[in-house]
Amino acid sequence: MALNRETSGGRWRIRPDGPAKVTGALTYLTDMSMSGMLHGRVLRSSHPYARIKSIDTSEAEALEGVHAVLTWRDVPGLNGYGIAVQDQPVLCRDYVRYVGDAVATVAADTPELADYALSLIEVDYDALAPVDDPEAALADGAPKLHPHGNVLHRAGYERGNIADGFEGCAHIVEETYITPRQMHAYMETEGGLFVPEPDGRLTVYAPTQHGLMDRLQLSRILDRPQASIRIVSSPIGGSFGGKDELNIQPYGALLALHTGRPVKIHNSRWESVRAGLKRHPMKIRMKTGIDADGRIMAHDVNIIADTGPYATLGAEVLNFAVEHVIGPYRYEHLYVSGVSVHTNNGMSGEFRGFGGNQAIFALEGQMDRLAYKAGIDPWEFRQRNRRRAEDPGPFGHPIAQTNGAEQVWRTLAESALYARRERLAYAASAPSSPPWIRKGIGAAFVMHGAGLGFGIPDPAGGRLRLAADGKIEALFGYEEFGQGLIATLELMLIEEFGFAPDDFRIVIGDTDRVPDSGSTTASRATSMMWQSLQRMRDPFRSALLKAAAAQLDRPAEELAIGEGGVREKSGEKRLLLAYQNLAAGSSEEIAVETNFIFPASDTKRIGAHLLYTYAAVAVEAEVNTLTGRVRVTDQFHAVAAGPVMNPQGYLGQIEGGSSMALGYALTEEAIMDEGRYVTRNFDTYLIPTIADSRGGFEVVPIEELPEGDPHGPRGVGEIGSVGLAPAIAEAVFQAVGTRISRLPIDPSELQKPTDALRKAVKDR
Amino acid sequence: MIEPSENTGAKQTLQCTLNGSPVEMDVQLSKRLLHILRDDLGLTGTKRSCEIGRCGACMVLVDGKPVNSCLTMAYQCEGKSITTIEGISGDGIDPIQQAFLAEGGYQCGYCTPGMVISVIALLHENASPSEDEISEALSGNLCRCTGYGGIIRAVKSAIATRKME
Ligand code: FES
Ligand code: FES
Repeated sequence: MALNRETSGGRWRIRPDGPAKVTGALTYLTDMSMSGMLHGRVLRSSHPYARIKSIDTSEAEALEGVHAVLTWRDVPGLNGYGIAVQDQPVLCRDYVRYVGDAVATVAADTPELADYALSLIEVDYDALAPVDDPEAALADGAPKLHPHGNVLHRAGYERGNIADGFEGCAHIVEETYITPRQMHAYMETEGGLFVPEPDGRLTVYAPTQHGLMDRLQLSRILDRPQASIRIVSSPIGGSFGGKDELNIQPYGALLALHTGRPVKIHNSRWESVRAGLKRHPMKIRMKTGIDADGRIMAHDVNIIADTGPYATLGAEVLNFAVEHVIGPYRYEHLYVSGVSVHTNNGMSGEFRGFGGNQAIFALEGQMDRLAYKAGIDPWEFRQRNRRRAEDPGPFGHPIAQTNGAEQVWRTLAESALYARRERLAYAASAPSSPPWIRKGIGAAFVMHGAGLGFGIPDPAGGRLRLAADGKIEALFGYEEFGQGLIATLELMLIEEFGFAPDDFRIVIGDTDRVPDSGSTTASRATSMMWQSLQRMRDPFRSALLKAAAAQLDRPAEELAIGEGGVREKSGEKRLLLAYQNLAAGSSEEIAVETNFIFPASDTKRIGAHLLYTYAAVAVEAEVNTLTGRVRVTDQFHAVAAGPVMNPQGYLGQIEGGSSMALGYALTEEAIMDEGRYVTRNFDTYLIPTIADSRGGFEVVPIEELPEGDPHGPRGVGEIGSVGLAPAIAEAVFQAVGTRISRLPIDPSELQKPTDALRKAVKDR
Repeated sequence: MIEPSENTGAKQTLQCTLNGSPVEMDVQLSKRLLHILRDDLGLTGTKRSCEIGRCGACMVLVDGKPVNSCLTMAYQCEGKSITTIEGISGDGIDPIQQAFLAEGGYQCGYCTPGMVISVIALLHENASPSEDEISEALSGNLCRCTGYGGIIRAVKSAIATRKME
């Protein structure tokens, strides 16, 4: 059944953070200010690659109203950051390796003065030729960007014998897929407020996807105990992976501690673009062979990822891509190799989909090409080759089994949209009206891992307590960046415990208050909140009832938790003790906490997942052969992710994710020329507008899980952003017969002079 | 690099109406309305995002017309009536805001004040806009989170509710 407001009934609720958002009353962290605060700015590198000969800050320091000008000399602790490897300098000392590298940071009375002070800092650079191409970076004799060279990480996987695999294949498809440097384009740029407290602590109000990770990283940089730092990190005006790594936090923190005054930083869009993460551009070569029955015999893949100058999670993204170029299919022989390469281009890193977007665009492209070559319907082709229930995961590793692959693929076939493809003739054979508008329908199949995968610390947990004022507090170390985590948690508390919305308070995004729940990434938060509540539900209920029983002098068995307080278990379920009174009358705190690890596969394979979400996407697109423009007119998404925890959030994740995939397919690319961004703002970086988003859209969630499945809801935060691009590529092929191997689609590849035009030109 | 120093130079008196009340302030006449609202007046419901007139996060009404406050200089506000998101509904909720709530026409909410302003301006001009007109009126408001599905539903439901009233 399609997911929408009507079919969701009472579970479609107004989000608790909604009223403040629609009225503009919500204070984002970049909206904060404080009397006496200073304004911070960062001097970024003038070159993609250069040696720093000297930095002279004397003129800037002498300027009245400038309170600090800091360089590498002023970093008290580790001059480096990175979630996985701390190889990115906070402030560069000897080399700059991309245009976002920070060289100095300034705090001044006004933003204008801070800007002016930056212009007075003299950095003497020895500019070096930038390494702007990952293949050139791998060549012998290429300049080494780091002492260890230019390879961040290699990953691969092998099964069978690939050389034998291609022998006797009936059809072989070889293709190279190229994917763009996509920008997260969150509407709120990075920023925040940094406040030195009277007791010597530092409070950081700045968005992140993992407050405790920021605290750890800042403690290393500032050389002060983690307990002396408090990170307040929600609400957030969008992140999509882009604010997972540190961004402006080190500068705000250094400046605030140095001056002893509050410091505000709020990036301009251009600064956000030049310094921020992007999706890894990848070049994926695939050679795939099938036998006469259309079964895949051999799949040979090579991935080259441009990871930019520093690590962040580039290695993990490559691991994910290696897993997802294998995906939900069976192969006789398999060989995958991948390399993530340092260049002087922009930073690449974590971004919704996490390497799956690139991998699956290529993989699904192969499936469509092979099906066409073999004369098999693309649905039937995948049906023949897709994984079966009980098959192991892509690396041959154990996974939590569901029937998701089969369910989504069958549901797709039953959709009205996909059924229409039968009526659309293959590749440009049927006439259309007007003749320059051609329609096509394409589909894609997605299996996407959730959680960080085996071998990477992936803690989870939460806490429930009855606060002194009688509110039940649910405390989680997760962040709200728009996905609706607060609304989802609210619904879970109502449905799992029977609380009224007024009975509880949700506390997130404050390291002084929350337990370590792990990061709000990798489609993990909803599923980890659900699992935490499963673990805490009975102990917390019993603790509440035990305290109530003592106060009421009645056996706990006669009592139940409900709206407003403890109630009689049977009969009219009369309210016996309001939570407020329960709290007032309890001498001990009533609280339970759970800590566990995100479920991982029993394997030795780093990054291999246990939990997967499946999706099938169909799309109808129109190609205008005069302009070469593609317009998406209808979409269908079947998603198997277990029970829907929050209908509005679920629908919003698939709609929003697929909008990002639409941009990825059609318009989005942060273009670089010799290590410098050409695309600097939304005038040239084109994300979808409402005018691009008018087509039909249907989401069918498949909620059923196998009997006894202990894992509950799987994540849906990323999967919507994956399948649409390859489905559009196939729809374009069906419409005009042109194969797309590079994103975003170049309109000039699709422009075809019509006969009428050709004639008109000839007649002149 | 020095930004063109729009905020230096002599201040002059600006008189206008802001959210229904007359205001008089001394500002540099080239200062952007966005910065006056956010930094001088603390009206942070108007958002800063691209600052080149492409995203609509900074949208306000000037004499009832939607305007990007990042492109509007102080002198252009002289004698004008400016309405920001804070002035839309007082302490309550406007029916258009209610439609955004009911349909889920927002996620992170950062584009939402600007979006609401544009919808208000549209429906004020045209009580029953066509799909083309909706799309035209809102194509200057970018939203990265929702894919616009919830926004389109919210606008349609706001139109339907108005018709019923
Ligand atoms: S901030 Fe004004 S249009 Fe983007
Ligand atoms: S709701 Fe986040 S940008 Fe629109």
